[in-house]
Amino acid sequence: MPGKPSLEGTGVRLPHAGTDSPLRKRFGLQLPESATALLLLTPVILLFGLSVIYPVIETVRISFWEIRGLGRPHFVGLGNYLRLFTDPVFLGTLWTTLIFTIGVTIVSVTIGWTIALLCAFAPRQTSIFRLMIFATFGISEAVAGYIWIGIFRPGDAGLLNGILVAVGLGEFAQPWLGGANSALIALIVTASWSAVGLPLLLSFASVQAIPRSILEAAYMDGAKPLTMIWNIMVPLSLPGARVAIFLTLLSSLRAFDIVFVLTAGGPARATETVGFFMYRESMTQFNLGYGAASTVILLIGVLLVSTPAIAQRTRGAK
Amino acid sequence: MVGRAPKWIIFVVGFVGCLWIIPIVGIVATSLQTTDSIARGWWHFGENEFSLQAWRTVWQTYPLSGSLWVSAKITLAATVLTMVTAPAAAYTFHYLRFRMRRLWLIIIINAFVLPQQVVIIPLFQLWRDVGLLDNMAAVVIPFVGLSYAWAVFLVKSFLEDFPKELIEAARIDGCGPIRTFTQVVLPNLISPIAACGILQFLWCWNTLLLPMLFLRSDISLTVLLARIAGTYDPNLDQQAVAAIVTAVIPLAIFLLFQKQFAAGNRVSSGGKE
Repeated sequence: MPGKPSLEGTGVRLPHAGTDSPLRKRFGLQLPESATALLLLTPVILLFGLSVIYPVIETVRISFWEIRGLGRPHFVGLGNYLRLFTDPVFLGTLWTTLIFTIGVTIVSVTIGWTIALLCAFAPRQTSIFRLMIFATFGISEAVAGYIWIGIFRPGDAGLLNGILVAVGLGEFAQPWLGGANSALIALIVTASWSAVGLPLLLSFASVQAIPRSILEAAYMDGAKPLTMIWNIMVPLSLPGARVAIFLTLLSSLRAFDIVFVLTAGGPARATETVGFFMYRESMTQFNLGYGAASTVILLIGVLLVSTPAIAQRTRGAK
Repeated sequence: MVGRAPKWIIFVVGFVGCLWIIPIVGIVATSLQTTDSIARGWWHFGENEFSLQAWRTVWQTYPLSGSLWVSAKITLAATVLTMVTAPAAAYTFHYLRFRMRRLWLIIIINAFVLPQQVVIIPLFQLWRDVGLLDNMAAVVIPFVGLSYAWAVFLVKSFLEDFPKELIEAARIDGCGPIRTFTQVVLPNLISPIAACGILQFLWCWNTLLLPMLFLRSDISLTVLLARIAGTYDPNLDQQAVAAIVTAVIPLAIFLLFQKQFAAGNRVSSGGKE
């Protein structure tokens, strides 16, 4: 519509179709806008309320109660929380969660981002290799955990031990999932293998969005690939990598599936994350209140990590 | 990119790519060998015996076909429900005005940070009290409810670039909000809806925690695999088949639709091209 002044941004709203449409005047067919909104939103609000809002409120409420199995619940105030912070097992899970989360984020984002930067120099020739790495995105954590059990198996049947023996490092061969430290390393390696897809995808999109002219100018000036990567591409693809770091932190903080399948928290609860501790207390020991309190701690950790993202989304919610 | 790519770059990326699929090669090789050969290490291809035995017997050893059916049912139900209701919600939030609109929007799009662990104790008690444990709905309801947190955001981000003129034209021509949605907006939403569907399909098929707790007798494939992995049963060849069967459908869907998925993801992460 050339020549027509735009109403955008002026706050002027065009009359709603219904108000002056002859059809509506005659038949009164159209619902008011808020009623339509209610109609379209009802399933969403019902399902979201039932499976998100109610559980969050209820988890926080239960965390102030002692509920053991089918026994009578009684109110303990902050009792569960005081118990948690004197429970050496729980304090251990906090530490494990921290190491695991930071470890997985560093390993998977470093690998994903590096590959994305390198691939930018030959997007076509490397597309098949990129897909080979990216494919783990479609494989569940449970399957990843199962597959890697085979690699960490003790003795000859484990691939990692087989490789160590073959390259003459036989003295490092060990039952990887049997020792506290080696099991945590195994967990981080497996989770990073499985988590690398998202950092790769996000950083690659970010690298591809760098204006060609900048890279061409650098090339003309004789910049080597590594110089270009370090001085131009890393800073310019930082936004994508930052999103990847946040999303990887978020998903590793709440890890459960991969821990359950690969180590089941063992040996001797050495690889239990908070997300796994919560499951164990509430669903196998039936300490619902105690489990709920540990979930609230997990929730607080997640909210701390996500504060910037939440602030950004809230500002952008128009 | 500019100039010719140095050889070493392709070599490095190729090396990492090959490294990344070794575990997958390993599980396929394991499924095709006899148990004696697996004990020796699946990579001794020269000495090992190949056999299709595991692929034939696994269907009797584990209830794989039943679990395949359970996984398909819960995943499809949850995926279709999300694909139908999330776009309607995104449209409503974006174009219609109603009370507490912004508050609801802020709550829903920020809920993506919540860990699933928050859901399980209250829902476990609730499902137990109303007798929904072991019912498909016990898993499908939270699958769909939790998906809104990211699905509404994904579709709504897409609508931010949607031309306002089209909506205004539809209104002037006498379309109500619902007709505007179904006839003007919806046909243009194929790509974000497809992205939602793929993400939801992958998540529902692959997730372990909720189905493990809320399903008892009819369990999904992922739960079945987790149970097998926790036992000391020696049929490594058959377990490998179970792992492959669990992984193959979401992996195929993912590889088939990865282009659409990448497109949807670009929108949701804000890095538009």
